[in-house]
Amino acid sequence: MSPDAKSPPGPGGPTRQPDLAGRARVVLDMLSGLEPELRAAAVLAGDREVLASTLDDDAWRQSVVDLAESLEGIGDGDLDSSHIATEEAEVFTVRESGFSLVAVTERFVLASLTSFDIRMSLRDLARETHDA
Amino acid sequence: MLKPHRVVARKFSSYAEEASAFMRRRRHHRRPYVRIQFRSGEAVELPPDGDEASQIMAAVTGLIEHSR
Repeated sequence: MSPDAKSPPGPGGPTRQPDLAGRARVVLDMLSGLEPELRAAAVLAGDREVLASTLDDDAWRQSVVDLAESLEGIGDGDLDSSHIATEEAEVFTVRESGFSLVAVTERFVLASLTSFDIRMSLRDLARETHDA
Repeated sequence: MLKPHRVVARKFSSYAEEASAFMRRRRHHRRPYVRIQFRSGEAVELPPDGDEASQIMAAVTGLIEHSR
């Protein structure tokens, strides 16, 4: 089959487009490739629903939601992004196009570059979701 | 010409100043912080001893522990 050819339809009909969680997983894989210092990351729809995560751990997923909820009540305006540094690691959150991405990285990464990569990843996800 | 013991004392104090500057920079870089950016463009760094920063730091600590 040529590379341009479409996949043959399966028994249930034409091959389905990857679902939202699958697309979010692809975005995380791409982000992992861009960020060698990335420890873990998760994509949320809104602030509560974890669509995909690099770690298959319920406690981690709950921690992601807890952080998103903690950030929710900060200030009067709409949150765009946050950068939290501890002695051990750094945590980035970015909201874009109805999705949020939470990423834990090693210490002393380039913050603006990491935030930019996260934002572009979320824009890719939003565009693919819109096109699907 | 400086007496030899003064040369040694100046060298020593110069090294001590370098070491203390290094420690100050290190302490500054290791300082935890919470920086928030809003859609309006406003950015704030939360006071480290405030309730909001403490709550976020608690959530982040759990997040980091589970990401090991």
